[in-house]
Amino acid sequence: MELLLYDAFNGLIVGMFYALMALGLSMILTLNSVVNMAHGGFLILGAYLAFTLEPYLGFWGALVAGPVIVMVFGLIVERVLIRPIYKREDPVYSLLLTFGLALIMQDVARTIWGPAGLPFAIPDALNSSLSSSFFFLTGYRAVVVAIAFFAVVGLMLVMRYTRIGIRIRAGIRDLETVSGLGVNIYVLRAVNFGAGCLLAGLAGVLAAGQLGLTPTMGESLIMPSFVAIIVGGVGSFLGSVLGGLLIGVAAGVMTTYYPAASDAVIYGIMALVLIVRPRGLMGQEGMFE
Amino acid sequence: MNSRYVRLGVLWLLLLTVPWWLPLVGGYTQLGTRVLVYALAAMGLNLLLGFTGGLSFGHAAYYGLGAYGVGLTLKYLAPSTPLALVVGTLVGGVAATLLGPTLMRRRGVYFAMITLAFGQLFYFIVVRWNNVTGGEDGLTGFVRQPLHFGHHVLPLHDVAFYYLVLFCFALATAIMGILLRSPLGHTWVAIRENRRRAQFLGIPVERYVWASFAISGFVTALAGGLNAMLNNFTSPLDLYWVLSGDFVIIAVLGGMRSFWGPLVGAIIYLYAQDYLSSLTDNWQSFIGLIFILVVLLFPRGMLGMLRMKARSA
Amino acid sequence: MSLLRLQNISRSFGSLRALEDVSLEMPAGELRAVIGPNGAGKTTLFNMVTGLFPPSSGTVWFADRTINALSAERRTRLGIVRTFQITEIFPDLTVFENLRIGVETAARSNALPWISRGRRAALERRVDELLAVTGLAEKSERVVSELAHGDQRVVEVAIALSLEPKLLMLDEPTAGMGDEETDNMVSLIRRLHDKQRLSILFIEHDMDVVFGIAQRITVLDQGRVLAEGTPEEVGADRRVRAAYLGEAA
Repeated sequence: MELLLYDAFNGLIVGMFYALMALGLSMILTLNSVVNMAHGGFLILGAYLAFTLEPYLGFWGALVAGPVIVMVFGLIVERVLIRPIYKREDPVYSLLLTFGLALIMQDVARTIWGPAGLPFAIPDALNSSLSSSFFFLTGYRAVVVAIAFFAVVGLMLVMRYTRIGIRIRAGIRDLETVSGLGVNIYVLRAVNFGAGCLLAGLAGVLAAGQLGLTPTMGESLIMPSFVAIIVGGVGSFLGSVLGGLLIGVAAGVMTTYYPAASDAVIYGIMALVLIVRPRGLMGQEGMFE
Repeated sequence: MNSRYVRLGVLWLLLLTVPWWLPLVGGYTQLGTRVLVYALAAMGLNLLLGFTGGLSFGHAAYYGLGAYGVGLTLKYLAPSTPLALVVGTLVGGVAATLLGPTLMRRRGVYFAMITLAFGQLFYFIVVRWNNVTGGEDGLTGFVRQPLHFGHHVLPLHDVAFYYLVLFCFALATAIMGILLRSPLGHTWVAIRENRRRAQFLGIPVERYVWASFAISGFVTALAGGLNAMLNNFTSPLDLYWVLSGDFVIIAVLGGMRSFWGPLVGAIIYLYAQDYLSSLTDNWQSFIGLIFILVVLLFPRGMLGMLRMKARSA
Repeated sequence: MSLLRLQNISRSFGSLRALEDVSLEMPAGELRAVIGPNGAGKTTLFNMVTGLFPPSSGTVWFADRTINALSAERRTRLGIVRTFQITEIFPDLTVFENLRIGVETAARSNALPWISRGRRAALERRVDELLAVTGLAEKSERVVSELAHGDQRVVEVAIALSLEPKLLMLDEPTAGMGDEETDNMVSLIRRLHDKQRLSILFIEHDMDVVFGIAQRITVLDQGRVLAEGTPEEVGADRRVRAAYLGEAA
């Protein structure tokens, strides 16, 4: 039983990473209409930057600086590479573009930091367990849960109550009308993309502390994030988050019983959802139909 | 019309004589075979991508399933090349056909996402089922078998195998060519051009996209099977999403809207890959750069650009 | 027996009542115009009749059968064919190819992976007929996206024609057209109605066009039918003048 809880909780932690990634991907997918294949690249960029900056800024400093720098980089990418292709109607181009970017980012990371895994030091204070009966409840993991939770909630609040959040949500429904109302959609799309990258960078730093750093961690986290969006439902941010948590926990639980299938179970859930409820658990009708 | 037949004639003449002239320009027959295999895979994909407007970013799954179908048949079932090819093609093609219904109502990026995810599903099945497939290390222990024509036995060395691949390529492209010139092909193109208009002509669009998806899956699976025989080896990398992306870039690079575009794309892409990997360790970055440059600067691809020049002339 | 009958149709989008208790009866062979100020619900009416969404209440009858539950594709196959306000054609194909799809669809040949030479020739002859009727013969090899706006809209009408429609619904056929193009479209509509006895229902803003060719006019205002009748009756109706013609004058 304790093993099950341990695996489930581990799964929850990984699910948090999926959720953060899925949320960012979903934002970019719905407003920028781009499938950001490079999202994993932004994740590892955040992780490796944090690793490099940690000796100078400490853990908490790196935790803040990493995602912020990734966000800035994301803004540059949006301006230089993505903006020219918004007017292209065929989505194949944005896919290929971000795909190429992903290849470059992974290769650069491997070149600069090497192909081997690197350890990411977390403060000693967080290393110890918070509970004697649940030894796996370390301080670090609690921090991951807390930060991810606040990031998601914070974003939801921004989306709901700030001017730019409302504009982004309106733009997702009908970008043309929003533009016609005088809103600068270039800025809107840039901010949205940057925010998505910020989330990816944050996921990267947090994941580094939990899973260690490798150039392939982006790849292994981006695919389940796509599944999380499909399972949770396109067009629903909350769905993406819940989808991520769900598949994380499901994969975690699966490792208790049948470890070989733990990653396949994610896709199994996806297939099931697509057959039974194609628009996803919380998806909205009419998105991309 | 005449010029079209002339160009086709020249193309097939070149393809038929590859073992002679390719070494003269610094290549070798096996490279030519690789180009044909990739071109076939990309042309299969392009039936869906360029001619029906369906964005599949998971076509390597069917390619890889074709490869494993061939490998497993040769290893466990029977030492017969034709049988292995049939089995491989069926495995990949049927997988694509079964997937069709889950994708049908989706469009654009969402369609692409689901194909991507399903591609990974098959990847993981192959990786995890390692007592059958050999897992991450790949499937070994099979070789392409000589062909038996009555009493005559033809071993499939380099050149002979090239001609077998060319034969399959010719068959597949002939079928695709006929389809694209038929009312069915016209319907696919109409769907690509304006899905809404096609719907409002009374066309049940989803069924036609499904058919295109299924047929393209069969063709790409055949290519995967041929690839397994080319290398006498296959691995989960043959199902990986990166390879799916390769197929898409090959189609776009050559020209999505042109029938022979993917062949041109395969030639350029494989040559570039070969050249770059011999030049630098960071060839992957340069490949990524090619993706970006094609998207930004050559979206219509090589043949697409030529067609535009011809039109404005 | 009427061709198209709308019985107490209402349609709401959330709290917005786009159509309110609209009834309409159109016999076969009629050339009817639907007019009304912007936002009156004309395109909503078209969208509903052609199957983009069902009515919130009320029934739609086509040739004496209810079609409320039928999909857009089904309705098109029944013979309700429409054109759109923003031209919907196949941009990168030639005029010939655009019409050919329609002809193949009408001949139920869409799914054939191969056809005989004889059949192919017959289909192409039909395309040629359509090109002649619509005056597009000279432009048949031009790529449609390169044509002038007016010609593109004629192509769209031609595609609709190729489906051998029982009811042709044109959404603002002369939208965005200059005088010459408008005349061209008007004489085409007239020809289709007079020579081919087509039933045509069209939305228009150009009152010269409406009063020039329509046999009957239905006037919508704020989702309701304001008036209906011959051009003379509608032209004289004070309410119509107040709501609509007054603005345009």
